[in-house]
Amino acid sequence: MTVPQQRSSPDQALALRGLVKRFDEKLAVAGIDLDVPAGSFFGLLGPNGAGKTTTLSMAVGLLRPDAGQARILGYDVWADPSAAKARIGVLPDGVRLFDRLTGTELLAYHGLLRGMDADVVDRRSAELLDVLALGADNRTLVVDYSAGMKKKIGLACAMLHAPRLLVLDEPFEAVDPVSAALIRDILQRYVAGGGTVVFSSHVMAVVERLCSHVAILTDGTIRLCGTLAQVRGERSLEDVFVEVVGGRTATGSELAWL
Amino acid sequence: MAVGVRHFVRLKLRITANGLRGQTWRVAVFVLGAVLAACAAVGGYVLFSLPGMLGGQRAAEVALPLAGGLIVLGWLFLPLVFFGVDESLDPARFALLPLPRRTLIRGLFVASLAGVPAVATFAGTLGMVDTAGRLGGPAAALVQFVGVLTGILLCAAISRSLTSAFATALRSRRSRDLAAVLLACVAALLGPLQLAALAGAENADWTGIARVADVVAWTPFGAPYSMGLDVAAGRSWAVPVKLALVLATIGLLLWWWSTTLERAMLGSVGRSGPRQQAASARRPVAQLVPGWLPRTRFGALTARELRYWWRETRRRASLITFSMVGLFLPVFIGVSSDSAGAPTGMLIFVGALAAVSLANQFGFEGSAYAANVVAGVPGRLELTSRVAGFSVYVVPVLLGIAIVVGAAVGHPETVPAMVGMLAAAYGVGLALVLPISVRVAYALPDTANPFALSSGGGMAKGLLTFAALFGAALLTAPLQLLAFLAHDVWLWAGLPLGLLYGAGALLLGLRLAGPMLDRRMPELLATVTARQ
Repeated sequence: MTVPQQRSSPDQALALRGLVKRFDEKLAVAGIDLDVPAGSFFGLLGPNGAGKTTTLSMAVGLLRPDAGQARILGYDVWADPSAAKARIGVLPDGVRLFDRLTGTELLAYHGLLRGMDADVVDRRSAELLDVLALGADNRTLVVDYSAGMKKKIGLACAMLHAPRLLVLDEPFEAVDPVSAALIRDILQRYVAGGGTVVFSSHVMAVVERLCSHVAILTDGTIRLCGTLAQVRGERSLEDVFVEVVGGRTATGSELAWL
Repeated sequence: MAVGVRHFVRLKLRITANGLRGQTWRVAVFVLGAVLAACAAVGGYVLFSLPGMLGGQRAAEVALPLAGGLIVLGWLFLPLVFFGVDESLDPARFALLPLPRRTLIRGLFVASLAGVPAVATFAGTLGMVDTAGRLGGPAAALVQFVGVLTGILLCAAISRSLTSAFATALRSRRSRDLAAVLLACVAALLGPLQLAALAGAENADWTGIARVADVVAWTPFGAPYSMGLDVAAGRSWAVPVKLALVLATIGLLLWWWSTTLERAMLGSVGRSGPRQQAASARRPVAQLVPGWLPRTRFGALTARELRYWWRETRRRASLITFSMVGLFLPVFIGVSSDSAGAPTGMLIFVGALAAVSLANQFGFEGSAYAANVVAGVPGRLELTSRVAGFSVYVVPVLLGIAIVVGAAVGHPETVPAMVGMLAAAYGVGLALVLPISVRVAYALPDTANPFALSSGGGMAKGLLTFAALFGAALLTAPLQLLAFLAHDVWLWAGLPLGLLYGAGALLLGLRLAGPMLDRRMPELLATVTARQ
């Protein structure tokens, strides 16, 4: 059942309006407006502590914002959570999985949790485990997985129910090059098939290679936002990023004792 | 500058203070706990100084070793069963620092004394110094002071070494069954103790108790608390012997602790290796959900809980501890009391204690709960499945308890009524505990020790446990009255009445806590996520 007046902007996969989050005295996110067009591959860039995880957590309903709105495919995450949450897949960062299950059990758990039919869960899990090279008959507990395997099983859990929007927090962190290439490939196919990906990262090379759209976040505000070409202009993305963020460059005189 | 004990103490106090910063309810719990501890300390002081004020040398010689022994036993059992240990200084975090083991052990040990329970215990037992002083003058008081000091050291050493040893044993897949048996034996130790206490109280056999006290005074349990009295009685030769006994015990315990600690510090890196099992040919859903559960959301949630109660060390430890305590307490009470019929009070206690295991159910998995928040699991469903998963383990245990107690008491015809009483207490306990688990969850530290709590957590856990136990006792009062006043009716009506009562309470609790969880999902996730 759709509620027409809630679907204000159906061509935006994710729309954030004036999101604010304050932790004690620290203003983590200071009023963010962001539009992620449907069908885009969107990179959210920022240095450590810029508020990327906080922003994405508020966008998917894991963290209640102090002010502002988040809409997923037109559905308000905080007013109509079940409709919004049914349409997204999330890979949170720094969050544990239910890691006392085996990878297979974890996938089955996520599938049933999303209300999927058991037969469909069986079919898709086997396929995902196979494609991600996790081994369909692997009985190792997720807690004993390597960091890269944990990212991959987390991604599989996020994609199992075929959501229209994937929100991934640092999907390439601690992933070896082989797995990273595999994940890139899968995500590109997903976007080509009409899906939307929003992911956070501070690895410029990955972002430049994958993204159609980019936003740069520092100190809880969006500094630059647009298509990759608009943001980067004639220069490299890394130069733009360092300039916007205002990092310091070494003069060579400090740390002489090293 | 060499690292000394004071660095550890300062670190511990700093971590405690930082843990409280900006967390209003935690400050409240901490203050409440501190006030309660202060009351207990004052009460203990008065109680322990009474024999001295009354001038009863013999009374003091009986009371102080026995009371002191109880205190040491309390330090042994309460962390295992109720409070856990404050592991704000997680030994594993020191693994990379260039610290000699002696320094580390001494530092961690002294830091463990810098907490509310230790200070309160010490303050309370100072009343014994007062007694010794009145009976034997300043020399006796001084010796008793030394005794009390070694006493608190003994308490801390015993609780540290025991929880650490069990933690090590429960973690390893090879020795965990052995550990369960050991835990059972420790719990079983409670039994003879109660027998002695109850038999003594009922028969008022003064000479018998006095003889027990004289023996206890020569064990490490009572020795620290009877030294001053020996001086007062002119047996000064006993002091060095007892002192040596206590110090040797402390030394042995610390040595034991340091060996298990070493394994714990390595444990976070070198586990016993990933579990290798034969490849399963079953389909993914069948691997997760057992055949007797529906292949739905509820089935998946319940199946995950089933796995977690067995696979996660913390949960397994609480399950095993509950089973042992639940079995032994009522049996010994039942056997030792003369009254015909079942020990109703104990049954209520055990039923509610089972439910209390769920008081911080969301803290067990910590941030992993995010998966359920993202999937938007409705609160009622979430809580129902958690109760169902836990009950699969606990209900058989409760049934077993009723049967064993019935057989032990020699009244097998009371078993159905006992099941009813247990069911009522369990249901009421769950009804109380479910809202608690949603409203006042707290993060558990990410360590290998299943008894570990972050600072202040022990206080919260203890307070909530007692609140839930007290509430359950209060709310099952109608049934208790019926069982007491109309024993014959209760024998056949107890089972259906108790089941109905418990089920009704559980439904009410779910109805109350479900919407509460729906409103608070992100907040709950934030509180159970361990801060790094």
